Amino acid sequence: MLLLQNITLVQFKNSLHSSFVFGERIVGICGNNGVGKTNLLDAIYYLCFTKSYFSKTDVQNVRFGSKGFRIEGNFVRNEKSEKIVCVLRENGRKECSVNDEAYIKFSAHIGRLPCVMVAPDDVEIITGGSEERRKFLDYTLSQLDPAYLQALMDYNRILQQRNYLLRTFADSPHRDMNLLDVLSQQLLEPGNRVYESRNELLEFFLPIVRELYETIAGSGERLEISYQSQLQTDSFENLLRKSRDKDILLQRTQIGIHRDDLQFTLNGENFKNIASQGQRKSLLFALKLAEFQILLKHNGFAPILLLDDVFEKLDDNRMRNLLHRICVENNGQIFITDTHCERLKETLEQLQVRHQIIELEAQ
Amino acid sequence: MIFSSTILENAVNEFARLPGIGKKTALRLVLHLIKQSPAEVQQFTEAIDRMKKEIRFCSRCNNISDTEVCNICSDRSRKSETICVVESLRDVIAIESTQQYNGLYHVLGGIISPLDGIGPDQLNIDSLLRRIKEEKPEELIFALSPNIQGDTTIYYIQKKLQDKPLRITTIARGIAFGGELEYADEMTLARSISNRQPVDNYMSNNK
Ligand SMILES: Nc1ncnc2c1ncn2[C@@H]1O[C@H](COP(=O)(O)OP(=O)(O)O)[C@@H](O)[C@H]1O
Ligand SMILES: [Mg+2]
Ligand SMILES: [Zn+2]
Repeated sequence: MLLLQNITLVQFKNSLHSSFVFGERIVGICGNNGVGKTNLLDAIYYLCFTKSYFSKTDVQNVRFGSKGFRIEGNFVRNEKSEKIVCVLRENGRKECSVNDEAYIKFSAHIGRLPCVMVAPDDVEIITGGSEERRKFLDYTLSQLDPAYLQALMDYNRILQQRNYLLRTFADSPHRDMNLLDVLSQQLLEPGNRVYESRNELLEFFLPIVRELYETIAGSGERLEISYQSQLQTDSFENLLRKSRDKDILLQRTQIGIHRDDLQFTLNGENFKNIASQGQRKSLLFALKLAEFQILLKHNGFAPILLLDDVFEKLDDNRMRNLLHRICVENNGQIFITDTHCERLKETLEQLQVRHQIIELEAQ
Repeated sequence: MIFSSTILENAVNEFARLPGIGKKTALRLVLHLIKQSPAEVQQFTEAIDRMKKEIRFCSRCNNISDTEVCNICSDRSRKSETICVVESLRDVIAIESTQQYNGLYHVLGGIISPLDGIGPDQLNIDSLLRRIKEEKPEELIFALSPNIQGDTTIYYIQKKLQDKPLRITTIARGIAFGGELEYADEMTLARSISNRQPVDNYMSNNK
């Protein structure tokens, strides 16, 4: 069982200083646009991942005109309390701690407090570039296996070094092929590790997504999903060796798991091209709920679910079915935001589960 | 800080330029020196002056030295069959403090990181390869940072030594090393030197 009991935000995004106590498993958060609903969800997410779901740099998370921020939350995880604090100091140094013990590596925290966010812009996973889909896979896998995250970080670091070296080749007569070969060699182990983990996960993940999609979207739609990786055609080692000249010419590493993708097709057509907004949203939910289910199975307790503005753009019936599935059939903690307090209250009433409503007002 | 004397102010500013020294500490140090006898202060400044003017880098291992060849390299009682490859002088000092190592060193001056503009040419790698050819040591021990760049450096040098009948090992890499080596406690460091393992093993263990 994983529950967040309270949270305190200081100078995080639009909040100056605010505290919230969460007394129920289901928490509805409502208020006008811009009051800070998404920011509150992001603060919760931050405590689980030591980073924001939305902003790329921590500077963006600091309230305009202030220096530094602090987020503190008290969780109960398997009957034990865990106080998580993340602080960005005035000098830009970041610290995160669990029960007052500071993390040396933030990556060690990932997976401890499993969490799934669903936000409106997440349809990018379906409509956007391949990096969005890899990111989705990586966040799921990192929460399941710390060694995966380590391999991925190593891979990216070596890839950066290799690409940088390739770029220096362009304007230098002396090319150190030995060094290029060493970096290629170093890529193999983490690259193969990431590939194997993605393969292993997707083998049981994709059928779950397909099944969830059918329930959400209604029957009659044939969704196919496939994992695409260059590593499916030959060993990574051979592929890298064969593309060496091309890499040098293009000054970039052309082969590797950084080119992986997921392909969705609907009734044989590219999903992105033919799907309606509703269908996209259904697929997004199928992906996120599949992640939810896998984390639940892995940990033995449900991850925290953060649903941002999910009521928009989904018809009432689908929405109610979904919420029933999430709120009633699971016992995890759920945070749901909506701009319409009445709509949110009504919906949660109808579900007949205990819940709490937090009405946010402009600060 | 407002000073009544420009001479005093200059001295304080010079001290304050040192790493880890703020204005207040600088002032305290300067006031301390003012109280000392001229002979004592002269001894102090001469030591600093000589340090900069006369210090050299050992022509064999690049360690800091008073003479052409450093006193570790010229110590006949040390085993010249082993060379320990380190990033910096600080690593030499840390390993020497364990009193567990009785071979020679080679100071690379850093590790390979194209992103930071450090390629093999910027490091003392050629001189290491030449040294190995001439001195024919039996074992090369790497004591480098336990990270990607440390690995790159080890594999790169190893690749250049493939045809040499030489044992290549690395110290146990769990501990903080490289720039942080001075923080590793002596016991741990001593243990990791005696528990060194072949690089080939290390590479396959990592898989
Ligand atoms: N670093 C920041 N400092 C101050 N205000 C911020 C910061 N980042 C975002 N905001 C403000 O927060 C508000 C958006 O909050 P948000 O949580 O997205 O609202 P909503 O309730 O609509 O989800 C915007 O008015 C935005 O300007
Ligand atoms: Mg919002
Ligand atoms: Zn020497």
